[in-house]
Order: sequence, then C-alpha cells, then structure tokens
Amino acid sequence: MKFLAQVLVTVVICFLVQTFFPWWTLAVVCVVVGYGFRQGGFSSFMAGFLGLALLWVGMAMVIDHQTNSILTEKINRLLPVNAFLLTGLIGALVGGFASLTGALAAAKPKRRW
Amino acid sequence: MKVFKTGLATAITLLLVWALNQSWDVGQSIPPLGKFVDPFHGFWQNAEAAPAREENLSIPGLQQPVTIVYDSAMIPHIFAQNESDLFLAQGFVTARHRFWQMEFQTHAGAGRISEIVGEKALNYDRSQRRLGMVYAAQQALASMMSNPVTAAMIQSYTKGVNAYVAGLSYEDYPIEYKLLDYAPEPWTDLKSALLLKNMAQTLNMGEKDIEMTNALKLFGRETVDLLYPDNERVGEPIVDNAGQWKFQPVTIDSLPLAVPDEFVTIPPTKKVPADVGSNNWAVSGKKTITGSPILCNDPHLNLSLPSIWYMIHLNAPGLNTMGASLPGAPAVISGFNDSIAWGVTNAQRDLVDWYKIQFRDSLKNEYLYDGAWRKATHVAEVFAIKGKPSFADTIVFTHHGPVVYDERFQPDRELKHYAFRWVAHDPSNELMTFYQLNRARNHTDYMAALDYYTSPAQNFVFASVNGDIAMRIQGKYPVRRPGEGKFLLDGTRSASEWQAFIPNEQNVMHKNPARDFVSSANQYPVDDTYPYYINGSSWEAYRNRRINQLLSESEEITPTDMKELQADNYNLKAAESLPAWLTALDSAQLTPTEQKAFATLREWDFYNHTESEGASYYEAWWDALYPMIWDEMRNEKIALEYPSTYNTLKLIRTQPTLSFFDIAATPEKETARDVLRKSFSEGVGAIEKWKNEKGKNAAWADYKNSFIGHLLQGLPAFSYHVRHGGNHDIVNAHSRTHGPSWRMVVSLEKKGVRAWGIYPGGQSGNPGSPYYNHLLDTWVRDEYLTLAFTGADKLKTQALATTTLTPATK
Repeated sequence: MKFLAQVLVTVVICFLVQTFFPWWTLAVVCVVVGYGFRQGGFSSFMAGFLGLALLWVGMAMVIDHQTNSILTEKINRLLPVNAFLLTGLIGALVGGFASLTGALAAAKPKRRW
Repeated sequence: MKVFKTGLATAITLLLVWALNQSWDVGQSIPPLGKFVDPFHGFWQNAEAAPAREENLSIPGLQQPVTIVYDSAMIPHIFAQNESDLFLAQGFVTARHRFWQMEFQTHAGAGRISEIVGEKALNYDRSQRRLGMVYAAQQALASMMSNPVTAAMIQSYTKGVNAYVAGLSYEDYPIEYKLLDYAPEPWTDLKSALLLKNMAQTLNMGEKDIEMTNALKLFGRETVDLLYPDNERVGEPIVDNAGQWKFQPVTIDSLPLAVPDEFVTIPPTKKVPADVGSNNWAVSGKKTITGSPILCNDPHLNLSLPSIWYMIHLNAPGLNTMGASLPGAPAVISGFNDSIAWGVTNAQRDLVDWYKIQFRDSLKNEYLYDGAWRKATHVAEVFAIKGKPSFADTIVFTHHGPVVYDERFQPDRELKHYAFRWVAHDPSNELMTFYQLNRARNHTDYMAALDYYTSPAQNFVFASVNGDIAMRIQGKYPVRRPGEGKFLLDGTRSASEWQAFIPNEQNVMHKNPARDFVSSANQYPVDDTYPYYINGSSWEAYRNRRINQLLSESEEITPTDMKELQADNYNLKAAESLPAWLTALDSAQLTPTEQKAFATLREWDFYNHTESEGASYYEAWWDALYPMIWDEMRNEKIALEYPSTYNTLKLIRTQPTLSFFDIAATPEKETARDVLRKSFSEGVGAIEKWKNEKGKNAAWADYKNSFIGHLLQGLPAFSYHVRHGGNHDIVNAHSRTHGPSWRMVVSLEKKGVRAWGIYPGGQSGNPGSPYYNHLLDTWVRDEYLTLAFTGADKLKTQALATTTLTPATK
C-alpha cells in the first residue's frame, strides 16, 4: 500500500514540477519523496523506478498518440534503441536512484542488539 | 554503513544526472540523453499535431495589428497595414517555421560550424572566412544600411525573427539544437546579409582558374583552346540581338598573359557541381491560349531539407506579392504580384579571380604593387570549437581581397600566396532589387529594380499583365580583355586588375523579341556582335536547346503545357550521342549480357522516365566513358579540370584519334572507338553489379536513387530517397542530389494573375511536423499547388489557421 502510494505521489509531484522545471528536478523530487516515505531501500528504488517509467512513458505515449507518431518513427531510426524504451529507462534509472538516496538518508540505523 | 550507503546512492544519482545532462563524443556525437528524451522538454515536445486554428500573439516592435492566414498548404498570407510591420511579420513567421535552418546556414556562411559539430568542420570554417564571406556580408550590410528603405526592411525583419527567439525556452528549441546540444542565438542584420552571400557563393564558385592555369602549362595554348573553348557555339544564346548593340563600349588596354612559371599545387576551392543551374522562360500572349503571357522558373540547387525556399504572400498598402522567399532574408525572391512576374537563373559569368601576391618578407606586412610596397591588413580570426579550445588564425587582406592560401592554410610546403578577388566582396544592395520587383507594375519598374542588382549575376526573366516579356542578364561584370580571368593573374601590377565595369545599360538584355518568347538555361548569353569578352565557369548545352525547340514549335500554350515542359524528361544529350556510340560497337564481340544491354539501348526512346532501363544503361556507360577519356586530367600533384560534356561528345565525333582518347595506363594506342567499347563493357558491368546487389531491374529512378538530405550531412532519419525521372542536362534537371528546388508557372491574365508553384519538402523545417515534407510527393509527381493569390476574407474560409499579431504594450 505504502509502495503504491509512493509511486503515485512521485508521479503526481514529478508531473507538476517537470511541467515548469528542467528534467533533472525529478531527482530532487524523488529524493524528497523517498525521504518522506521512509521505505526500505529496495522498495523506494522500485517506487521511483516505476513512477518515472510510468510518467515518462505515459507522457511520451500521449504525445505520440496526439501527433500520429510523426516524430517517434524518425527518432526510432535515429536511435539505436526504441524511443519509448530509452525514455522509460532513463527516467526510471534516475528516479530509482534518487528515491533510493532519499530512503537511505531517512533510514534509522539498525539496532544490532 | 548507513552513511556509506547513502553516500553511494547520492553519488550514483548525481553521476547519472551529470552524465545524462551533457553530450558525449564517442566517435559519434550523443545528445544529452536525459534532456533529450525528457517528454516534458526533450525531443517529444517537437512532435506537432495540427496548428492552433486561432491564435493571438503580442509582438514587441509592431505598430499595428497584422493578420496571418495559413492556407491549406501552410503558406502564410500576411496582411499588414504598413511595410515595417509586414517585414517584421515575415521575419516572425519564417523563424517559427525555419529558424534552425536560418541560423545553421548563416553559421555555415560565417565559418562557425565547428562551434556546433566540433573540430571536423574547422577546415571548412577556415576556408569560409579566408574566402572573405564575413567581409562580403559586412560590405553588403553597409550598403543596405545606407539606403533608408532597405535599412528599415532588414531591421524590421530582424525584429520579427528576434520576437520568435525571445519567446524560446528549451522545450521550444527546434530539434536539431537538442540533438547537437546548443542554443539559438539572437538574429542580426548581418545574418541576412550572410545568407545572401551564401547564395552568391553557391552560384559563383564554379570557377576553375587554377585548373586552367595548370592545363595551359601542361598542354599549351592550342590544346587548351580545343578542350576548353570560351564559347562552344551550341544552340542559341540567351539573347540574340545580332548587330543591334548600338552603344559605345568601354575599352581598356590589352593585357599580356602573365601566367605563373610553375604549376599551381594548391588545391582549388570546393567546386560547385555543374548540376547547379536553372531554367526560366516567358512566352508572349501571342503564343498562349489566353492571349496573356506565361512566365516559368525553376532554379536547380542541391536539394536539401528543410527546403531551400519558403512560400509566402506579402500584403501591405501598395504591395501584394507572392512566391518563393529565402528563409533569412526579407521579400519574395522568385515570384509575382498582381501586375508582373519574374524569375532567375544563374548567369554563369566568371566573377572570381586569383592574384598572385609577392610579399616583401615573411611578416607579410607589405606586398609589391606597381613597383612599390603596399600595406596589407592582418585580421585575427578566432574559431570556437565544440569540446576543444578555440583556434586562432590570421587572414591577410590585400586590396585585391583576402589571401586565401598561405603557409597557415596550405598543405604543401611551397609557399604561394594568392589573393581572391570576388565581385561579391564589393558593396551592393540586392535587397533593393527585390523590394522594387515585389512592387513593380511594368517593364520600366523592372528595369529600375535591376539597376540595383550586383551579385550573383542572374538571368532575370520578366512578364507583365500589360503583355511585355523580357530577359536581362544582370550583374556587375568587369570589362574583360580577351582571355582575362581564365587563368591566374599577376597581383603585382595594377594593369592586370579589373579596370572598369560594364555599364548597366550595356548589359545583355532584350524585350519582346520577334520569336515571342524569352528563355535562359545557363547557356552562353549573347551573340558574337556583343562588344565585350565573356568568360564563364561552364555553359549549358542541352536544356536550353530542348526548351527553345519546344517553345518555338508551340502555339496556344496553356499553363499545363508549361508544367509539362518543366517536367520534360527528354535526354537530348543521349539522342545526339547514343546512335553513334552504338555504331562504334559494330563487329565488337559482345557477351550475352552486353547483347541484352545493347538491345535495351537500341530500343530506348531517349526519355529518362522513372521506369526506363535504357536511361540507366546510358548513364552507366557515360559514367565509365567520361573519366576513361580524361584520365590525363587526374593528376596527383596538380588540379586539372575535365572538359565539358558537350565538348567531350563533340571531340568523340569530330576528332576520334585525338591523343586524349588513348588510355595512358595501357600499352595500346586507343581511339574514341576503343574507349567507347571499353566503357560500354564497364558500364554494363556496373549495372549488372547493381542489379545483383539490389535484386531488381535497373529502372532509372531506382538506379539514379535521388536523395533529398537534411542539412546535417543528410541525417538519414530526417532525409528522403525519391523515385523521380529526369537528370542533369535534361529540362527536368533532377540528378541524384540536385534538381528543381522551386517550380513556378504564372499566367499573367488581365482578369487576375493565376499561379502554380511547388518545391520538394515542406513549409515547416521541423521533422516532427506534418508540414516537413507535405509537398514532396506532389513535387515528385510533377504536380503543382494552385497558389491562393487572393484576399484575407476568401482565404479564411479554408484556412488551416489564422494568427493575429498585436503590438505588445510596454
């Protein structure tokens, strides 16, 4: 539940922030959200990874649909990998590591006794 | 442990962001991937759907509201209430569609491509600056600014472009900026001037002074005259006015030939292929079905994307003109208004010379001139290079022009200094010509407009609703002494300089000639009684004769006939040469494959249609024959030039035992017949190889494989291969890379001017727009758009979009 909530919050806030600010601000958002949710490192990473993959691929698909894939086809010839795949992967990796960073920074040291 | 993990995760995140926020050069340039694929700002944002139907924009610098109606072909029709607003709006709409192209072309003109693509463009950039491109643009700008009309025009245009640039943020950047990771910079007046000089460079750089000088030393005068005659005497000149040149020509003392004693080992400047050319003609109302003149124009250039031309309709009080404009310059360049039409082809005249300079010492502060030392100017140039420290160069200017070659920019060790004299370096104001042509009402206005025109020299065709047709070969031409300008010149003496220029009224021209049409296709300009010596880079020999033949034969001409003539695929060169070539194969031992090729050629109708196989075999034969004959011209040490196509074919016919037909590398002594046989086998071999590789028949369109490449070295994703007929030397002059870059047919009827136009590509320069290539298929089918030359109200009923520009309130 908490995991899905983090994905959702990441998507919504990133969407709002990215509408106005450069792409790398997604990392700032993910660190903050990851910190706030205080999940385990792996969960947080996956939440950021999934959240950004969803947001970027979703956004790209909307544009692609609205413009009849006019540019997607050309970019697919330009890039060695599929444009959606690359878009999703890059957003996801940065989102994932940023969320992980937030979670780790928030984690309480484990008691060993 | 926690600190370590957090630190590691932070480091990875930062590293990722850093790495994905910049471009990388790993043999191939990789854009900053994070920025590039970000769907909120990156390339995805360049994908366009249909434009907004209604739009209201507030523009600084505008005086009154301007309405822009985009018709169904995305052609903007601009309705302004004063001229300043008109040119501002032209700058604004052109920039919206074509800004990247505008800036890239002016960067290319100014030698600034290394800033964008890195060190690989440095030699190109240096060569541009050493040819004095920026200097030429500065001279032109000074002239434009000294005339209040053109000064206002160009400043308004710049304001309009910058209104677009000022509104840009990263997501709005044209996609090429995102790919190459650089940013648009504000437009300047100088850039418009640079753009016009780019065109001059394209059209003037067919010169071959170095090659001719070497040929003279190697072969002697007689052979040079045989191989490279000044006038090949083929067909009719553009203007045949024999015995009617009734003016007192300017005369100057003759000039003894002073060719350098040694071979010229420097490499010549990059050549513009002979495929650059154009057709234009106008037929009088006596020959048309409507009784009104029809004017046609199609300039042949290196076809590229974004398209070379941008169609536009300009309206302001006293002005209503439509046609093709050059992105980056105000006004319409080839077009019409409600009274007249005009178009251009290149005049081919030699307007470039090289002067050998003798410096006093290695400091190059002074050079010898008429027995005294004259001061040279040193200009420091800095080249910014992407990813590298910048490069500094010094260019020495003499009064002739810049010294292009010296020890800083010359691969071989022999020090030779040649200064470059180019008419485009002289102050001139071509913009005024187009300003006046755009609003001209009649022949007198056309003549007055052309008086401003200097360079690059053009054949200006004209027709009017009044019924006049005319041709004028306008430019600034030095008065040449016989032979002058063909070879390198002595820069130490004033006697070898350009002494005077042909007065405008003595230029080659005619109006309403008896044959009831005027035409030009880059052929020799004038009959023998014209009292000035004429030298040119190359003269066209085939298109002009085909056009003139069809125009002479035709009566009751319709606009459709004229469109068909522009798309005419008849290969006159083949019709004149192939029958004799086939005869030369008599009694030769042919392989079965060669026999089939022979049969295909014998049955060929001489039309380069898309499906014609004969055209492919003929071309392959010629492609083998031409270099085989002129093997003597491929010299590793010095540059030489192949004689022209026409002269080559003539020599095969008239002097088959000429020593040049001998292939130097073989012990036998070959004649024209032998090289024809050898090259036939080679040509057939080339076609067979092609057929095996492609697994299909050698249909002409497939074999020719025409390509319209994006300006970034033909980036495949943004470029197109097209199946189209025609070739160089054919009226439909579409070779593999060059072709009709703009086709226009205008019927100048009293009840209203009708016009048709088309070009390969589209109005938008954005590969993510449906209008990037929306005209390409129509062009390939040799069809036209009917140009909507009407008022705003009628246009609005079927408009794609309407934009209203309103003055920005401070």
